[in-house]
Amino acid sequence: MAVYDRNFGIYQGERTPTWSRFLIIPRYAYQEVFQSRLFVAFLGFCFLVPFAGLLVIYLHHNLAALSFINLPLDRLQEALPINAKFFRWGLEFQGFLCYVLALLVGPALISPDLRNNGLPLYLSRPFSRAEYVLGKTAVLAILMSAITWIPGLLLFFFQSYLDGASWMGNNLSIAFAIFFGSWIWIAVLSLLSLAVSAWVKWKPVARISLLILYYVPWGFAKVMNATQDTWWGFLVALWPTMTTVWTRLFGLPLEPGDYNGNPMPLAAAWLALVACCLISLALLSRRIRAYEVVR
Amino acid sequence: MSATVTEKQRVIFENVSKFYGEVLGVNRVSLSIPPGITGLVGPNGSGKTTLMNLMVGLLRPSRGRISVLGMDSQRPEEFFRHVGYSTQYDAFPPGLNGSQFIRSYLRVHGFGAAEAEAMTWKALERVGLTEAAGRKVAGYSKGMRQRVKLAQAICHQPSVLVLDEPLNGLDPMARAEVISLFRELADGGLHVIVSSHILHEVDLISDQVVLIHGGYVVAEGDIANVRDEMEEEHPAQVSIRCDRPALLASRVFAQDSVMEARIDDDGKGVLVRTRDADRFHLLLNQVVLENGLTIEAVAPADADVNAVYQYLIGSNGEKS
Repeated sequence: MAVYDRNFGIYQGERTPTWSRFLIIPRYAYQEVFQSRLFVAFLGFCFLVPFAGLLVIYLHHNLAALSFINLPLDRLQEALPINAKFFRWGLEFQGFLCYVLALLVGPALISPDLRNNGLPLYLSRPFSRAEYVLGKTAVLAILMSAITWIPGLLLFFFQSYLDGASWMGNNLSIAFAIFFGSWIWIAVLSLLSLAVSAWVKWKPVARISLLILYYVPWGFAKVMNATQDTWWGFLVALWPTMTTVWTRLFGLPLEPGDYNGNPMPLAAAWLALVACCLISLALLSRRIRAYEVVR
Repeated sequence: MSATVTEKQRVIFENVSKFYGEVLGVNRVSLSIPPGITGLVGPNGSGKTTLMNLMVGLLRPSRGRISVLGMDSQRPEEFFRHVGYSTQYDAFPPGLNGSQFIRSYLRVHGFGAAEAEAMTWKALERVGLTEAAGRKVAGYSKGMRQRVKLAQAICHQPSVLVLDEPLNGLDPMARAEVISLFRELADGGLHVIVSSHILHEVDLISDQVVLIHGGYVVAEGDIANVRDEMEEEHPAQVSIRCDRPALLASRVFAQDSVMEARIDDDGKGVLVRTRDADRFHLLLNQVVLENGLTIEAVAPADADVNAVYQYLIGSNGEKS
């Protein structure tokens, strides 16, 4: 046998921590995402409501600034209450924008890798399937965080600053609801859109699939609930399920009118959201493989 | 259990089988691949890519054991540091340019920003892509894509380089450069495992070959040794160009080990089929000396990968 002279050197230096490597995926994915002017404009729009919230909180505490309007100041303060309902409305609005964001960004995250058999490029390195999914989820989660819980908590702290520590102490549950409620929705939307991206290779079709998954079960639920006088239909509809959880997280009562007089039990809403995440993960697990078997 | 010295120097498959459900990937493969260039040859669907995926830890075997330089993929941090893989597919994240493409995977490997930057340029330089490093990979030609894929496989300085069809789409000049790079890497002690359909190139670059068909390894090792082992079934063919082919044919045909001696169509050479090539070469020396023949060339006519492939697998991929 030939005698080989090993003259190559293996890198022996320090490595970055394993846990942080999934963040490489969003870092490079954003280069593509932010090339779209439509997306940049949309992202700008996403900050309008938080900015308006900031203005409302400021005016609530500085009514003198509105003195040019000839209205009694105490009535104005009543018209702009800063409470759980205010923050819940804000989260709900931003939550819908998250869905639009998932529609814009989600379908292009996994399908190009699968279409080009690109997964071995990631998985032939010290990088697992779970880290790959985590990295792709992070692309959406970071953007969604920027328009939900981050501005939400900033508004909460701004209100606390203006109203004093006692308001903050009495309303800590609002901060919890903003943070936790946002993350639930982020997880559900991210996993669902990744699962769709993994199974539907063509972007426009993936977007249509996400629209269908969002609106069709909702319509079906409304019809079923109306005809059967039940709440069961909402189990398959994402938005009513999520708003049920949000409403309860903010400590607000469910309004029977929204549910045909049959509010959905909180446990059922939780179960539906967890089931959605698990099904999405199972779908991802089936598709995210380093190889493809041609039968 | 600690790996033996041999294990630490070789890629070893021990009775490895891989099934995708009921579909056979590879079956009962046992290999021991030393450093140098190893050509992996077989028809489409023969199991080459499965074998490569097993080698680089993308697949776990259904049965058997795989050891790459004494390591297995259960310890990914260590294992993948030593393995570089280039798939046969063009798989590029959209929007990235050449240097970003390489750098992103180095960062996935865990290299810091400064190291990744330096290693990126080193890899691009090795494959001759520094000038195109700032261009989007999506706009690269086929040959440039092959080279940037090669760069991502070698950028982290692996010990085992597994390359699936790396010569596809390269023009002759680029091909020669890439082959020369393989040789340079192999001479540096790397295991360079290359699959290819282009048999004469495999023959040209490989130190050893693995022939695979229908999921089974049908031959392995130095091509000359493989050919020798087939002498009984497929007698060796030797082509001799000389001034008096008729005389040479008559003299060698008298020997037991020579089965056929056929004069070339142009009347300037003889093709001899023999079951014992070593004995024949001794005989040839003797005949030449005794008869004062002028020999222009003596060359084995079927001691290359192409011939072995034809004998073992057949031109249509049918095992003979």
